[in-house]
Amino acid sequence: MPGAMFGEGFVEADGFRIRYVEAGRGDPIVCLHGGGGLRLTPAHDLLARDFRVIAFEMPGFGTSPENRRTESAEDLARTMNMAVSTLGVERYNVMGTSFGSKIALWMAILQPEAAESIVLIAPGAIRARDGGPVPTRVSPEEAAKLLFAHPERQTEPFYLTPELAAKHAALTGRLIGPARDAPFEARLVDLTHPVLALFGTVDRVAPAEGAHLYREILQDCYIMLVYDAAHSIDADRPEALASAVGNFCARKDQFLVRDTSGQIYP
Amino acid sequence: MKASLFCNAQYMGSAPHDIWPLTGKYYDPKVGVESFQIALDQFRLADEFGFDWVTVAEHHYSPASLSPNPMVLAAALCQVVRRAKIAILGPTVPILNPVRVAEELAMIDVMSGGRLVAGMMRGAPNEYMAYNINPAESRERFAEAVDLIRRSWTEQEPFGWIGRYYDYPAVSLWPRPVQNPHPPMFMSASSPEAGEFAARNHMGVGFAFTTVPNAKKSVTHYRNCARAAGWEPAPENVIYRAHFHIAETDEQAFADMATLPPRVDLTLNNKALKEAVSKSGYYGADIEGQTQRSATRQLAERIELGQIIVGSPETAIKQVRRIRDELGAGVIDLFVGVQLGERTMRSIELFGSKVLPHVHEF
Repeated sequence: MPGAMFGEGFVEADGFRIRYVEAGRGDPIVCLHGGGGLRLTPAHDLLARDFRVIAFEMPGFGTSPENRRTESAEDLARTMNMAVSTLGVERYNVMGTSFGSKIALWMAILQPEAAESIVLIAPGAIRARDGGPVPTRVSPEEAAKLLFAHPERQTEPFYLTPELAAKHAALTGRLIGPARDAPFEARLVDLTHPVLALFGTVDRVAPAEGAHLYREILQDCYIMLVYDAAHSIDADRPEALASAVGNFCARKDQFLVRDTSGQIYP
Repeated sequence: MKASLFCNAQYMGSAPHDIWPLTGKYYDPKVGVESFQIALDQFRLADEFGFDWVTVAEHHYSPASLSPNPMVLAAALCQVVRRAKIAILGPTVPILNPVRVAEELAMIDVMSGGRLVAGMMRGAPNEYMAYNINPAESRERFAEAVDLIRRSWTEQEPFGWIGRYYDYPAVSLWPRPVQNPHPPMFMSASSPEAGEFAARNHMGVGFAFTTVPNAKKSVTHYRNCARAAGWEPAPENVIYRAHFHIAETDEQAFADMATLPPRVDLTLNNKALKEAVSKSGYYGADIEGQTQRSATRQLAERIELGQIIVGSPETAIKQVRRIRDELGAGVIDLFVGVQLGERTMRSIELFGSKVLPHVHEF
């Protein structure tokens, strides 16, 4: 079962009691989930082989109490920076998925010295237009088709109760901001961190056609298209995601140059 | 309806055509040079006589074709053929580097001033041995490669690709195709799986060296799938390829074509290859249909089934019209099956001057 090796913990930060799960040793990768909440996949297990993977359940998601205090993505990023700091993690790679991508970018804006690199998975931080499909606002059957290129292959079906879906949708709706968030983008242009942005080739929630926006705004952004993946790239193509993210977190912008042997036989 | 001349740059010397791979001991470099000159002359003549396209293809390790890399031949044609479109039908995509394929096709489109027709072929199964690729993976590799090729043409920003079979950290094509958003794409659709893929991906289809009844089943399936995907293929989305030879009279044409050797499927003709490929799943669900189109037939039956366009210009007009009527095909791709020197050149002239004007009216 994915995530079986992850241990659970709680951290008090910014007035919230924040749940997290953690596994692995090495350089930290701080994971911020999407609008569906914290859900571990085989990709997390694979990353935990080489990294210390810390996946937070952000305040207001999952089993945590409803969050009416946080006003913006910037606010939530400030909270998460405090959470990471309280855990004693001073430098880390941050990986934000979908809604979590905007939080990840704000964390780096607010504490640039702490983030070593930024990974955006099926990001919703910058969008070509408002009003695209949102998995938490549709039926479970439609959500499955948005999240997975091949729903029938998923061994761990994704299901949110209607109450949880509504709670998440209300929170993300309040915090995500507009598709083109001018004050946010004005801060992004100053980020010098290497950024890896992964888009699934069949993702209808964060379509690959919007990837160019990240390159146009961010100084050092690398776009990678993950073939045959919908919005949940970590569930559709866990090995591919773990390999690309692991390589990037380890080598940063040098990841472009292959360092593994192509020799077939010695 | 349009017409294309397809020439394989066949080796014009004596060499067995039913053994694969064939030893190089039969190869004479002088004959090789002459073979390419003949092919280029035929393409030039077709262009002069109004053929709408010229077609090249990819085959390895055989005297049947000296074109293992159709891009090279197509590049030469950019200078030799000044008006006709250049149809590469096509690179055997699953055994190649898709980024390289996208780059080369873009170069051809630019060098030809936007005349490229881009075929994406899964290829004959024996060809997979040329570059040591598992034929069992052919469909998956093909699907991923076609997606990557199309995106290489259309993505403006550099991007990496994390596929199942292809992995590139950064792709950013220069030059980019002239045709916008990209050159028209075609693929073979003789199998049901291919018809479905072509329909889902808005690609044109081609049927090669099959029979009209077989092609009719396949094109009907393709059109049904396209309808289900929300679009209606036009005639120009359907290519039918056949051997051809035109002479002043039917009698002369039939006599000339009597020298046409029976079609040899190089995979099925090799016991080891045949068994290995059959086990691989290469032929898909319709294994009978896939292998049956290579069945040995006599000339008269091949004509009757529409595998060959042969006869006087008047007879050829009827044969091509039948293909248009029964299949709704918009392009007839005419293969020089028998190289007969001046009679082949005359065949091209006759088709261009006496048949093509009628074909254009269909």
